[in-house]
Amino acid sequence: MDGRTYDRNEEYEQIDRDLERYNSSDKTLGGIDMPFFILTVLILTIGVIMVLSASFARAYIEDGKPAYYFIRQALFAIAGVAIMLMASRFPVAFYRRMSSLVLGIAIICLILVPFIGTTVNNATRWIDLGFTTFQPSEIAKLGVILFFASMICQFKDKMQDWRYGLVPFGVILVIICALLMLEPHFSACIIIIGVGAVMMFVGGTDIKWFVFGAVGVAAAAYIIIVVVGYNSSRIEAWLDPFSDPQGSGWQIIQSLLAVGSGGLTGLGLGKGRQKYLYLPEEHNDFIFAVFCEELGFIGALLILVLFSMLILRGYWIALKAKNRYGSLIAMGLTSLLAIQVILNIAVVTNLIPCTGISLPFFSYGGTALLVQLLEMGIILAVSREIPLKPRRRRKRDDGPTE
Amino acid sequence: MKRNSKNSGERPNKVLVSRTLFVASMCGIVAFVILGLQLFKVMIIQHSYYEEMAVDNQTKETTVSATRGAIYDRNGNVLALSASAENVFISPYEIDKYDEDIDLIADFLSELLDVDRQSIIDKAKDTEYWYKTIATAQPSEITDQIREFKEEYDIVGVHLEDTSKRYYPNENLACHVIGFTGSDGNGLDGIEYLYDDYLEGTDGSIVRLKTSDGSDMLFTNYEYYFDAQNGADVTLTLDSTIQYIVEKYLDQAIEDYQIQNGGCCIVMNAKTGEIYALASRGDYDLNNYLGLSDEVQAEIDKITDPDEKAEATKEAQAEQWRNMAISDTYEPGSVFKIMTLAMALEEGVVSESDSFYCGGSVDVLGRTSPVKCWRTTGHGSQTLAEAASNSCNVAFVNIGLRVGAETFYKYCEAFGLFDETGIDLTGEGSSIWWSEDVFCDENNLSQLAAASFGQTFNVTPIQMITAVAAACNGGYLLEPYVVKEITDEDGNVVYEKDRTVVRNVISEETSEAVCDILEQVVNGGTGSNAYVAGYRVGGKTGTTTKTTVEAETGTREYMVSFCAVAPTDDPEVVCLLVLDNPSKNSGIYISGGQMAAPVVGQILSEVLPYLGVEPIYTEEEMQYINVSMPYVKNMSVEEATAAIEDAGLKVKVVGDGNVVTEQLPAANAEVATGTEVVIYADSEKPTKTVTVPNLYGMTLSEAKAALDNQGLYIGISGTLPTNSSVVVQSQSVAKGTEVSYGSVISVTFVDQSKVGMY
Repeated sequence: MDGRTYDRNEEYEQIDRDLERYNSSDKTLGGIDMPFFILTVLILTIGVIMVLSASFARAYIEDGKPAYYFIRQALFAIAGVAIMLMASRFPVAFYRRMSSLVLGIAIICLILVPFIGTTVNNATRWIDLGFTTFQPSEIAKLGVILFFASMICQFKDKMQDWRYGLVPFGVILVIICALLMLEPHFSACIIIIGVGAVMMFVGGTDIKWFVFGAVGVAAAAYIIIVVVGYNSSRIEAWLDPFSDPQGSGWQIIQSLLAVGSGGLTGLGLGKGRQKYLYLPEEHNDFIFAVFCEELGFIGALLILVLFSMLILRGYWIALKAKNRYGSLIAMGLTSLLAIQVILNIAVVTNLIPCTGISLPFFSYGGTALLVQLLEMGIILAVSREIPLKPRRRRKRDDGPTE
Repeated sequence: MKRNSKNSGERPNKVLVSRTLFVASMCGIVAFVILGLQLFKVMIIQHSYYEEMAVDNQTKETTVSATRGAIYDRNGNVLALSASAENVFISPYEIDKYDEDIDLIADFLSELLDVDRQSIIDKAKDTEYWYKTIATAQPSEITDQIREFKEEYDIVGVHLEDTSKRYYPNENLACHVIGFTGSDGNGLDGIEYLYDDYLEGTDGSIVRLKTSDGSDMLFTNYEYYFDAQNGADVTLTLDSTIQYIVEKYLDQAIEDYQIQNGGCCIVMNAKTGEIYALASRGDYDLNNYLGLSDEVQAEIDKITDPDEKAEATKEAQAEQWRNMAISDTYEPGSVFKIMTLAMALEEGVVSESDSFYCGGSVDVLGRTSPVKCWRTTGHGSQTLAEAASNSCNVAFVNIGLRVGAETFYKYCEAFGLFDETGIDLTGEGSSIWWSEDVFCDENNLSQLAAASFGQTFNVTPIQMITAVAAACNGGYLLEPYVVKEITDEDGNVVYEKDRTVVRNVISEETSEAVCDILEQVVNGGTGSNAYVAGYRVGGKTGTTTKTTVEAETGTREYMVSFCAVAPTDDPEVVCLLVLDNPSKNSGIYISGGQMAAPVVGQILSEVLPYLGVEPIYTEEEMQYINVSMPYVKNMSVEEATAAIEDAGLKVKVVGDGNVVTEQLPAANAEVATGTEVVIYADSEKPTKTVTVPNLYGMTLSEAKAALDNQGLYIGISGTLPTNSSVVVQSQSVAKGTEVSYGSVISVTFVDQSKVGMY
């Protein structure tokens, strides 16, 4: 246990022990966490309906089939719920065992993307599977969470030491981000760095590294944006969208017009106007703008509350989780969800500069939805292993075990 | 212990729990509160700002054009009218998008609209455009064919949009008053410009939602209608008939006298200031206001340099749009003696019994040479009326001196000659006068002396006629006007103008005296050529040389004019005619009396009966009036003979039937009283044509004989042909013209015994 490196054998021993315990304690396990499951399905249902409302105008104008996007999204949603329920049936230890495999596949896919990927708008982010396309970055997010959790469990108290708590994590993040920037996929980088940082923070990495990191990012951002001038049009559009209303400001202006014209109660479901080719990505990154326009501040607030409840419930599961690994992946996956929701809504309302982040359960995109629901399924799997209350009572009867 | 420690490593520790709680509060609560606040800011606080901008963005406005109001004359005859029409445009974007056959479209449109085929193809190349105009204001006969074409070939990229076209049914008539509108439908000149706000109306619109690419939005019911308010109709004081009469004789005069620089004529209601007719030359067709007359165009076509040509075209257009009657100034000459006369009578410095001696010239303080009378031999001793009749410069210099410079100057101002008249037309010019100090210089009376007979200053024709009206209508200076009334589309009167008195200048008694004297000018005086049998016409001639032009170019140009008032016992109309630069080659003596006076006489001879002024003929006049040939066909010969003799004509019967089958001249022809007309009873009238003889310079009996010789009849106008110095100056049908046997040729007599520069 004094080795500095990640010890696969010890890791597998632990997994085997966990699996053994899991199999022997089947009757003591609770079911999946119903509040989390219901919130997920509820948000998903609202999201799929919004895809119909947001997409029919473009679908009709471009192909004459108004329900095209909706039908595809609904089918993926049904499949996704099935995957979520299936995923919830696997023991947490199984995911722990899969962690390095998932990350490995993600990295291989990311390496392959520049060669076999599909290019849209000068970015090569997709791999075409024939019936659908998927983004390896989605797998990478999951891989990072699973593998980081595994490393944290392995390093335990040594996380305080920068050689354990910083370097291995940093190396993995740098490799993945470098591959993502080849595509390029800036927003995925931000999300992965964000969720990676949260994992490290919770895992016990010394606080000072986060302070250094924050200072470093701020300095880098200053140098890149102010000194080098990269992305300056995006920053300008953020600070003053009306400086170039037909160009870089177009997207954010159209979004603000949609959100702003929603008012208190909105124009009514399906009655939004900004989706009529004004708002780009109206059924994707900017679907929340359509939602605000149609259902107003009250509707938007309701969605915020639902997401907030889902996320808090995810953290609750993490806190209640029986073992450290389950807790960490529940926390990581919940944080991933939270980061995406927060960044998406912040973009739509022009709180931060525009970047392409989709809104989980709302934005159109089949494989992304499947991966998101798989992740929810993993959180549910963690929730299944939360000990039931009677067991707790018995535990108290047994007296202290350590 | 080892196992326990392992187990403890697998359980969430304190750090993990506390840091997860921190992350949970940040990601689950704090961030969402911030997002909620931002949503509140955008959706509630900035709601109306974004909503307004969004609606602005999302809606398209389809204009519903207001129809421009019509312009009518005082009797409701249409002078200007808008009819709906359509603009034709193509959408290169759509032609490209739907891959439509541009050759087919270009062939069709170029043929139908008379547009260059290549220009259509070139316009279609700008495929990012939605709107390229091909032709404007096309009538429905054309646009219906475009609709059929679109249907037949399923064409999307050719469009029509509603607009309107302005029509001027009388073409050139009153062009300077009516004015015209530009291609955008806005008034650019005349009434069209000045009353544009009333005429144009307010466009309405339909506001609809549109998608970003311009098509209508689905499933939305956002639609607002704003009704168009059509333009108001303007009714003028102009009378088309009088305007037509004026323009006819003005054109005739310009041709007869070979007028070089055009002319103008105004007929005004003496009591109210309403303008009955106002014409300037050159003129133009309102329907094609950029087009030039054939002669001018031919001149311009000779220019080869394109820049010079464009410049010359512009100048010619400005020239034809220029309204001489109100924009240009001229030296009024002897017509101005009316003002001198009026002020002298009003001031009491002369009386009708005063005697004025003219020895041919008069010395004036401040002048090196004496002022000469137009008649250098002098007029001898004259009464005031005789001095006016003779248009004696010497007498009027003396009258002016009696009035005195300061009083004279004040009267000129009172008669409105220093200010614009305020007529509601565009481009009114300003007069040019001496300053009061110079004019009233006690040591130099030359300005006063010259002004007394209308020289050394400039006024506009409209100022001059307004001042004469004031001198004759009882002394009231009026504001002349051309718009009588404006009514909106519902018939409500939104503007109305009545007689506007600027000031009272002279007393009614003085005014009556002025009228009496002016009548004597026409009755045997220098204005006798303006005589109209049966009517009491007063007037004054004017002839000036353009001294500045002469000084510059060495050639002498004349300005001849005549101002008449009728009837003199109760003035109804004032008429001023100004002709700029008659040619010496016309063969007619250049003077207001010989040139302008007969034309004004002819105008009044038609205008006065038209206005319902009853003619009263003297015994002498009865011998020279025209009478109407009655309609006698199908009557018995006896009845026909009686009817014709009752009318004042003699009868010759040809054939031996009992019933009249033909008559010469035709019914309603105006022939001189006492003429022998022919009725045919069961006999054919000759159908041959005859050549009109040259009657110029003939006396009445000579002219009658010449016409008789050709089987033609005579109609008489102008000065009474009572003596041999009264001869034919113009004839209604030019010499050498072939006309049918038995036609009536109307001739105008002038008195050539008293020619002179008055």
